[in-house]
Amino acid sequence: MSNKREREKRREERLQQEEKVDTGERRTRLLQFGAGAVFLVIVAVVVLIVANSGGDSGGDATNLEGVSEADSMIAGIPQNGMVLGDPKAKVELAEYGDLQCPVCKQFSEEILPPVIERQIKNGEAKFAFHNYTIIGPQSPPAGAALLAAGEQNRGWNYLEIFYRNQGKENSGYADDEFLTAVAKAAGVKDIARWNEERKSKRLTEQVEATTTRAQSTYGFTGTPSFTIKGPSTNGVELLGTLETTEEFESAIDAAG
Amino acid sequence: MNFPTEATLRRIIAFVAALGVGVATYITIADSGGGAPACLAGGGGCETVANSEYSHIAGVNVAVFGILGYVLLLLSAFFANDAARFGGFAVALGGFGFSIYLTYLEIFTIEAICQWCVASAVLMTILFLLNATRLIGYAGTTTVAAPDEG
Repeated sequence: MSNKREREKRREERLQQEEKVDTGERRTRLLQFGAGAVFLVIVAVVVLIVANSGGDSGGDATNLEGVSEADSMIAGIPQNGMVLGDPKAKVELAEYGDLQCPVCKQFSEEILPPVIERQIKNGEAKFAFHNYTIIGPQSPPAGAALLAAGEQNRGWNYLEIFYRNQGKENSGYADDEFLTAVAKAAGVKDIARWNEERKSKRLTEQVEATTTRAQSTYGFTGTPSFTIKGPSTNGVELLGTLETTEEFESAIDAAG
Repeated sequence: MNFPTEATLRRIIAFVAALGVGVATYITIADSGGGAPACLAGGGGCETVANSEYSHIAGVNVAVFGILGYVLLLLSAFFANDAARFGGFAVALGGFGFSIYLTYLEIFTIEAICQWCVASAVLMTILFLLNATRLIGYAGTTTVAAPDEG
């Protein structure tokens, strides 16, 4: 009897010992996995940072792309300053954007072309661009350069060419060389006048004023944001950031 | 200093993760529809960050990934087993690494700081430290205590 009890006790001790070994092994394995995961995450973060700091930041002043594409998109449509379309059009769609903003570029290339092709070209609406410079320190000078091109009625060419050659935001690409290259490609005839006007108090203050209007008066928190005004609207109506071409078309139809 | 009990660690993890869910949810809601979170001190840093190309991955706001991570961390605090310990550590480690990358982008690439993103990065760092402590201290142990049982 006592032998049996003895055997039971020894068996229990052995099981406990085995469990302890198992637990220890599991703990070691988990900690090894943990250390491996730490190593992998360190490698991933380093790779991401290195990949991000190098590479093509775009905005190549010596090799502008999409110039003819941009020109043909707005060819034959009247330009008045930064207003594209028939000046007598009853509906005015307005964009508040930043030349450095990648989402504005996407709108300009993917969502807005059909609207310009149809409703702006046929005189149903006109389309104004206003600066809402929030991306970085190169945004306001770029905005003023755009307005200066608009003074020679080449603003929309400037806008579309800039977007097609937009570099990585705040990578420093939008310098004087780049702005001047875009002005030349946009067909700004008097570059000396453009150069003078883009640095003028009048245009730099205009950039600040439209930014303040977008931010404080309209309460927009992102670019691009849109407004619309027409016979069927109650003054200027805020559209915010519409998502599709169809939404823009419907907004213009509703405002007319 | 005494090593904290696992129950204490799990309670703190649950609390911090819940805060993280709140912060990430606010950023997601504020960003939907083209908006941006409001920076408490003004200055437009949140707008700049929210409008940058880095605020979305494949069209999805990075804060959505944040919500997912914090919810998983919250769940991991409710179980006292090795799966929860290691899972919580792995999620917090991934979140911590991603936060380092996003903070790097804010400072050196976007050149703007969004306080809400910083808040999330701080919470994720705390969660990483808590989960690392939990894994080192309690991996391989067997307990049955729930977070509210002490």
